[in-house]
Amino acid sequence: MKRQNARTLALIVSILTYLVVGAAVFETLESKQEKTHKRRLDARKYELMRKFNLTKANFEELELVVLQLKPHKAGVQWKFAGSFYFAITVITTIGYGHAAPSTDSGKMFCMFYALLGIPLTLVMFQSLGERINTFVRYLLHQAKKCLGMRQTEVSMANMVTVGFFSCLSTLCVGGAAFSHCEGWSFLHAFYYCFITLTTIGFGDYVALQRDDALQNDPRYVAFCFVYILMGLTVIGAFLNLVVLRFLTMNTEDERRDAKQKALMTVGKPRGEVARLLPLSTSTSSTVVANNATKAKDLKGAYTEVLHFQTICSCLWYRSKEKLQGSIPTMIPQEMTFSDAYLQQNSNCPHYMDPGST
Amino acid sequence: MKAQNVRTLFLVLSVVFYLLLGAAVFDALETESESSRKEALEHKLGELKRKYGFLEEDYREVERVILQSEPHRGGRQWKFSGSFYFAITVVTTIGYGHVVPLTDAGKTFCMFYAVLGIPLTLIMFQSLGERINTLVRYLLRRAKRGLGLRETEVSLGNMVLVGLLSCVGTLCVGAAAFSHFEDWTFFNAYYYCFVTLTTIGFGDLVALKKTDALQRRPPYVAFCFVYILVGLTVTGAFLNLVVLRFLTVSSDARTAEREDEQLLTEEDESDAADGGRSRLTLPVEEGGSCVSLVSFPSDDLRLIGPERSKPPKPNRLGDLICCWCRGLGVCGSSSDLQREHTGGHSNPVFYTSVSYRVDRVSRAASPHASPSAVALCWERNYRHSRRSSF
Repeated sequence: MKRQNARTLALIVSILTYLVVGAAVFETLESKQEKTHKRRLDARKYELMRKFNLTKANFEELELVVLQLKPHKAGVQWKFAGSFYFAITVITTIGYGHAAPSTDSGKMFCMFYALLGIPLTLVMFQSLGERINTFVRYLLHQAKKCLGMRQTEVSMANMVTVGFFSCLSTLCVGGAAFSHCEGWSFLHAFYYCFITLTTIGFGDYVALQRDDALQNDPRYVAFCFVYILMGLTVIGAFLNLVVLRFLTMNTEDERRDAKQKALMTVGKPRGEVARLLPLSTSTSSTVVANNATKAKDLKGAYTEVLHFQTICSCLWYRSKEKLQGSIPTMIPQEMTFSDAYLQQNSNCPHYMDPGST
Repeated sequence: MKAQNVRTLFLVLSVVFYLLLGAAVFDALETESESSRKEALEHKLGELKRKYGFLEEDYREVERVILQSEPHRGGRQWKFSGSFYFAITVVTTIGYGHVVPLTDAGKTFCMFYAVLGIPLTLIMFQSLGERINTLVRYLLRRAKRGLGLRETEVSLGNMVLVGLLSCVGTLCVGAAAFSHFEDWTFFNAYYYCFVTLTTIGFGDLVALKKTDALQRRPPYVAFCFVYILVGLTVTGAFLNLVVLRFLTVSSDARTAEREDEQLLTEEDESDAADGGRSRLTLPVEEGGSCVSLVSFPSDDLRLIGPERSKPPKPNRLGDLICCWCRGLGVCGSSSDLQREHTGGHSNPVFYTSVSYRVDRVSRAASPHASPSAVALCWERNYRHSRRSSF
């Protein structure tokens, strides 16, 4: 079986196993508690119903009102600050649900908003994360140099360690801050930060819901927004470092397979192609004409694979158009391409290959 | 400023602006409705309080009981099927919150569970998505051939169209199903499917919450789970096709060195084998080559026959993206390239700047000189800058 298929199958099986195992553990941890909790609540409910002489219908009516009032209890949710909070939960896919659009037009706009916002945010966090990783690598390198270490290169393990500790400290800082500002225990505040920064966003704990904080405490509001966005950046940088490379494994393998397939069938390169590549000054003139048609077919298949894995292939086409449209950026015609190229190559002697023999 | 920094700054500013825009619109759409609803509900509550003679503490008590009983209304939530549902919402990061672990042990396990589960799930969905895209590409090509079309190559536009239609189709199927089973309007069911498959997961609408469905209707439960996982696969495949290429991977300096050695030795070997023609292999090691996300059309070179007169059809979608890249003015000048370090080489912008530079060196004569020049110039700069780093 092809490597990509085996890998995909293995991943599917692992996920399903992981879900089953998780379900079993959660059941063990929570099911009994759930039963006792429910029993207690039901008992209390009947007590209250007896005390206030409520029928079942009365109580259900009361239930409905109380449940609908729940989001309003936390204050105005849709003024600008609250809407900004909501917009954050949408495009970062956290989605607490503490406030959710109730009007149809709100829901409609929410969907379109998410459609553009989520990829934009994904790309932004990964871009920023990659910049941060580069910067951290630079700092680490300088630090290693300063400490006078022998090995001044920054290894992957170094970066992963730094990334991991940044994530952990971000969570701890958030845990401390929110446990103070929201009155939660440290574990619950840490749990809140974790659930938020992994974008799960249950909504069991939500910041800015106490004492109308969204309207009354702009500094705390700003802190929350900044914390969420910066925390997501730190996590995003760590994911960029560790996980992103695995997301393209199959694509790379496909490309490699296509390349190998093409190379094996096309055979040795023709002299024409060799001439195009100035590195090889070999004048082998074995023009394999009969391979041309085969090459065309395979080229079709091969370029197909590459076509839409090449982000800026148009650049080649556009620069080709430019060339034909006589943009005055060309080198003088008397210089051959090889000469011009070799001139440029003066500072890369190791790369220059003046011919095999 | 370096191209990647400009690009990143631009992205950050776009997101901030997008948030401000969204906040303003949501404010306009929802505030009035919110305040009128709140008034009505508080009025009703006041009536009921008076009717039943609740004091403030009484009401607090009733409220507490009602709010805490809410998750139990749908039946047992933590039996196996409910826990499985919860586990799905955790690893896919949907996170409805319709049930949450109440015990501290449950919360702690949830965190550890997520730490391993979320990356694993991400990788799985992307892996499966890529397989699906490959299959679709193959099927489309056969279909094009079968229909006797002249151009049998499957373009990115074709794939994006098919992906888009699959996503919309998945949402509609889900909307129809859930509007039937959960007794929601089609619009609400569609909204639910959208919010679920984008993993936002508000929790305002949640399937399987009604009347003990988790225990009483196993086929419907199975359908829900399968729908969520398949739907996320379809969405993941579309993201794999469209968004993944824009995510730049951090490179690793040591891996860069290794790849350099490899390139050199490969070149030497192939030089000997092919009689002097060196191979322009892109390092695609799994150690984290940052070029892996973007391949260069230089690979086309070897297969370009001398008699080929027509270039491959330009990729219009790519044109748009490239023109966007260029229009930003982030194409570096040649001096920028010297300063370019290893980080973020897979930026399309980086290649933009390389090809921009190459325009200045390539000849007008051969149309093929351009890609080879581009490739070689890239190779040279890539290696040069790799050497100059750390």
